[in-house]
Amino acid sequence: MSETAVSVRSETAPTAKPKKPSSRKKLSRIDARVGLMFALPMFLLFIAFRFGPSIAGVLLSFFDYEITGTLEFKGIDNFKRLVSDERFWDAMRVTLTYAVLAVPLVLVTSLAMALSVRRRFRGVAFFRSVFFLPVVTSLVLAGTVFVWVFSSGGPVSVISEWMGGSGESWLNSRVLVIPALVLVGVWSRFGYGMLILLAALQEVPRELEEAAMMDGANSWRRFWAVVFPQLKPSLFFLAIIETTGSFQVFDLIYTMTQGGPARGSYTLVYMIYDQGFKYYDFGYASALGVALFVLTLIIAFVQRKVLGDKK
Amino acid sequence: MTLTQQAPTSVPELTPNQRRRKARADAAFEPRLGGKILKWIFLLLAAIVTFFPFFAMVVIALKPGMAIDFPGSLMPTNLSGDAFKEVLSSGQLMTWTKNTLIYSVVSVVLVLILASMAGYAFAKKKFPGREAMFWSFLAMVMVPFHVTLIPTFIFMAKMGGIGTYWGLILPSIANAQAVFLMRQFIQGLPDELFEAAKIDGASEMRIFFRIVLPLCKPVLATLGVFVFLWHWNDFLWPMIVGRTSEMWTLTVGISSMHQQNVPLSTVLAGSVIALLPIMMAYLMAQRYFQEGVAGTGIKG
Repeated sequence: MSETAVSVRSETAPTAKPKKPSSRKKLSRIDARVGLMFALPMFLLFIAFRFGPSIAGVLLSFFDYEITGTLEFKGIDNFKRLVSDERFWDAMRVTLTYAVLAVPLVLVTSLAMALSVRRRFRGVAFFRSVFFLPVVTSLVLAGTVFVWVFSSGGPVSVISEWMGGSGESWLNSRVLVIPALVLVGVWSRFGYGMLILLAALQEVPRELEEAAMMDGANSWRRFWAVVFPQLKPSLFFLAIIETTGSFQVFDLIYTMTQGGPARGSYTLVYMIYDQGFKYYDFGYASALGVALFVLTLIIAFVQRKVLGDKK
Repeated sequence: MTLTQQAPTSVPELTPNQRRRKARADAAFEPRLGGKILKWIFLLLAAIVTFFPFFAMVVIALKPGMAIDFPGSLMPTNLSGDAFKEVLSSGQLMTWTKNTLIYSVVSVVLVLILASMAGYAFAKKKFPGREAMFWSFLAMVMVPFHVTLIPTFIFMAKMGGIGTYWGLILPSIANAQAVFLMRQFIQGLPDELFEAAKIDGASEMRIFFRIVLPLCKPVLATLGVFVFLWHWNDFLWPMIVGRTSEMWTLTVGISSMHQQNVPLSTVLAGSVIALLPIMMAYLMAQRYFQEGVAGTGIKG
C-alpha cells in the first residue's frame, strides 16, 4: 500500500560546487553526523512507542501476561482460542459489515457533494465549510447527541414512525444498530472525501470537458467519459484510507453502543479494548491485534489487486 | 497511507478578476434554471442534515429538565442556561479543559519541532541508515494503533507513566505523518540556500532555526492545526492513561458523564463547551484545514 503514501523520490546529491575532494569529504561527514542527530529524537520515540510495541504486540500474542507481571509462554493457544471464540467471529462479521456499508456510502456521498460544490457560485464557500464541519468534530462529543438522534423519541425513530415504522430506538435493535453507526460514520467522513475529490476535480482539463460538450455529450456522459477517469486515483486513495479507517472505528461505538445491543456492534477493535482493558487478558487481546493487522493487510492487498489494475 | 502520491495541488489563489472570469466560464457548465434550483434544494437539505446535530445539541443543552422528544424538544422556547451552570459548577470541566489544553499544546510544539528536524534530516542530509530509518517510519503507518495499544500501555505502566502528563503525551508524538509531510516540503526547498549559509559559516543549529523553520511556516501552520485537532479529539489513549478524573481530558470526562446517569442537557452542555474551541479554531483557520486536506491529503 506504499503507493498511497507519500512518494519516495529518489534522492539527488547536494548540488554544491565541486571543491577540493578532501573538504567535500569532511563536509559530508559533518552532514552525516548532523543528519543523524536531527533524525534521532523522533526515531527514538518511534522505537519506544511504535516499533517496539508492534513487535511486542506480536510476541505477546504467544504469551499469557498477568497485570502482576507473570509471563507464561502459551504457544499458539491464544490463536486456537480465537478461532473457536464465537465472539471473535461475531466481531469479524460486525467489522466487515460496517466497512462494506460505510466505505461505498462515504465514497458516493463524497463524490456527490464534491460535484455539487465544484463550480464557484454564490454561497459555495459556505456549503464547503458546513460539509467539512463534522470532520473536525470529535465523535465522542458528537456521539452524545447522536445517541439522542437515534433513541426512541429522537428524530430518526419519530420520523420512521410517521412513515409507518415501529418507532423503536435504532441503537436497541441488533439489525438497525449498524446502519445507525454507518450513518454517523458517513456524516463524519464525507467532508474529507469531498475535499480530496474537489482537489482532483480542479485538475480535470477544462478543454476536455468543453470539447465533449461541443460534441454534444450530455452531462451524464461527460461525467463518465471525461471526469470520472481523472478521479480514479483519488477514489482509490479514499477507498483505502476509508476502509482501514472503518476497521478502526472506536470512539463512536464506545460512546453510542458500548458494543451492544447483544454484541450487535461489537467490532474487532472494540473487542481488543474489551479483552485488554476490561478483562486484562493482554495476551488474548494481542492475538486479536495481530488478527486486525492481518485483516488490514489482506484487504489492502485485495483492494490493490481489484482497484489498482484498472488504472 | 496518509498522504496522497498524486498530491493534488492546492487550489491556487486567484485575483478577483480571475475569479470573476472563472465564475463566468463555470457558468457555461451550469445546468439551466430548473437544474440550478434543484441543486440548491439538494445542497440546502444536505447542509441542514449536516448541521442538525450541532443545532440539536445546543437547543437541548439550553432546555434542561424538559421532555427530550422530537420535535417538541427542538423548539427554541423556555431556554435557560442552567445546564451550563451545572456542568461548570463542579469545576471538573475546568480540570479537563486544562488537561486537554496541556495535551494538545505541548504535543503540537513537540511534534512540530521533532518532525521538522527529522524531516530536514531525511530531506537534505545523507547519513548511514537513513533509508532504513525512513522506510521503517513508512512501514509503521500500516500498523493499526490498536495493535500497539496494549504493549504501549504495559510499557508505560512499567515506566510509571500511567496517570501522568508525560505518559499521556510522549507516545502520541511519534507521528509518522508529520515526518512525511515535513520531509516532502523541505525536499522542495532549494539546496543552494543551505549551502550558501554553510559557506558563510552558519552553524547547523542556526541554519535550522533561521532558514529551515521560517521557510516552513505554511506547512507548519497546516500541520500544527491538525496535530492540535487530533489531540483535542483524541479519546482512547487519554482514557486508558488517565487513571483518575483529575487526569481526564474533555472527551474522556464527557464520555464518562454520558455513561453515568447525568441528565442529557448537562452532558450536551459539556459537549458544546468542549466543541467551542475547535469550532472557533475551524472558523478562524478554515483555510489551513481545507487546503491542508486538499493540498496534502493529511488525515482529517
